[in-house]
Amino acid sequence: MINVENLSVNYGEKSVLSAISLEIPAGSWTCIVGPNGAGKTTLLKTLLGMHPYSGSIKVSGVEVFKDMSRNVAFVPQRPEIPMGMTVIEYIALGRAKLDGWGREKRSGRLLIQKTLDETQLVGLQRQLVTQLSGGELQRVLIARAIVQEPEVMLLDEPTSALDLHHQITTLNQVESLKNRGVTIVSTMHDITLSAMYAERIIVMREGKVLLDGPASKVIHSNELKMAFDHGISVHTLDDGHTVIVANKTRNELI
Amino acid sequence: MPTNKSELAPIWRWQITATFALVLLISCVLAVSIGPVHLDFANVVKTLLGRSSNLSDQDRTLLLQIRLPRVALAALVGAALATSGAVYQTVFRNPLADPYLLGAAAGAGLGATLAITGTGRTFTAALPIFAFMGGVLAVLATFLVAGRFFSDPSSLLLSGIAVGSFATAIQTFLQQRNSQVLRPVYSWILGELTVADWQSVKWAAIYIFIALAILIRISKLLDGLMLSDEEAFSLGISPNKIRMIAVGAATLATATAVSVSGLIGFVGIVVPHIIRGITKKATNRALLAISLSGAAFLVLADLGARTLISPAELPIGVITAFIGAPFFLFVLRAKRGGIQ
Repeated sequence: MINVENLSVNYGEKSVLSAISLEIPAGSWTCIVGPNGAGKTTLLKTLLGMHPYSGSIKVSGVEVFKDMSRNVAFVPQRPEIPMGMTVIEYIALGRAKLDGWGREKRSGRLLIQKTLDETQLVGLQRQLVTQLSGGELQRVLIARAIVQEPEVMLLDEPTSALDLHHQITTLNQVESLKNRGVTIVSTMHDITLSAMYAERIIVMREGKVLLDGPASKVIHSNELKMAFDHGISVHTLDDGHTVIVANKTRNELI
Repeated sequence: MPTNKSELAPIWRWQITATFALVLLISCVLAVSIGPVHLDFANVVKTLLGRSSNLSDQDRTLLLQIRLPRVALAALVGAALATSGAVYQTVFRNPLADPYLLGAAAGAGLGATLAITGTGRTFTAALPIFAFMGGVLAVLATFLVAGRFFSDPSSLLLSGIAVGSFATAIQTFLQQRNSQVLRPVYSWILGELTVADWQSVKWAAIYIFIALAILIRISKLLDGLMLSDEEAFSLGISPNKIRMIAVGAATLATATAVSVSGLIGFVGIVVPHIIRGITKKATNRALLAISLSGAAFLVLADLGARTLISPAELPIGVITAFIGAPFFLFVLRAKRGGIQ
């Protein structure tokens, strides 16, 4: 369970997040959506405990800032790619918190192997991380987060660099983690995908939360359209799925 | 399929480290044996092991009081420069970062110039102390100018360049005003190990061993600095804390090395690159190997400096640059070819 109360973050004079209050249930998947510059990534990094903030963020009842003891995995949108490190060494870093840096225990090694199978990375383990394709790198990042055995997993735009097929395989992997009880919080530009996978959607704009609720409700809400200046439309397909698309003729409509 | 050991290789592979330790040992024995007066290998080894040998008293003194401290100092300085170079490259995520990056060299140069111009003599016992203080102060100034410590490594680099230029400007001004010191200052800038005695070896060893012990102790955590700060944080380390410890220890090693040997270029760049190439490991996973091979490299370079135009001596900085620069170009070219 993550409890956020009256959270504000400033960069110098500029307010980036203001008066945010949220409750994220344990073992759920929550997606943060909103236009560029809404503060989605800042909210994610603040949940990680990286940014100083006012207000309160509690993960399982403990305030997060500078609390190094929590096990929260972070999957960045643009990771730093270390030179000279192989895929398996990179994934093994995920064990650092539980086993110590460079001291993977037997249980850790077994989990790493199992995760390689699960994420279809067998055969790539000796390749350098610098030589991976975008899709492979994303799988490696997810694999590292899996071996971390986190209680909470934060993902920043996990699908932004992926083709449609890899978007689905990546999100399926995250979903299987959720099914094992990990609390998932992700930012995502694709609202259709957000609605397919997440139980809850948080709509943000200009550092504020416009709406926070069950995905099925949020995608039909007026607040979602407001967040994007009414530049999106929501269509329900015959099979019951909902698709959210940008309006090409938006300017004329306004 | 179970994960086997080779796939998840431990950070320290003792075979690699042992090989480089052996190379260092052989380099040292070669370096104390060869010179204008050649000493027999077998006798040298016997003497070093404390057994009776056929060396004359004069040769014994030459070996134990002149060559050995010089070789020991070369090994210490080489290890210090190579290791701190490797660590700077990791911390600043810049393969061309070198130990003199944060103004340490320029500060030490200014300190040395002050020592020489202040006393009016060509060399004074105060020079290493002044150089050390100058190097450390310059690095502190770099941090102060950069303001927020590590939020942005590039601002630290830029402030290092600014502080370095400022220190160099003052140094040049002092030299202009005291033209009689040009020669000793320049010979110090080009690097020299000729003044080695056991006293300077002792002091250098204390600081350099402390710095290297810290760096090798935290080398596993340096993995985290190769990731983004958020990733490192989520994996359980505070990246800024590790950076501060790493840069502090690397600067201590560099300032000590500069204060006893002047400015010896290229070791801090060339050695880590070669060892990364040989071991196929990220810097921090080969740090001990880098220390040992840096030591061996400088011992051999000093051997060249002493013997190539014997009985005269070349500045050791000339040798390292002479080998280092073409090698570096070769590596760059090979790398570019690899990418194509």
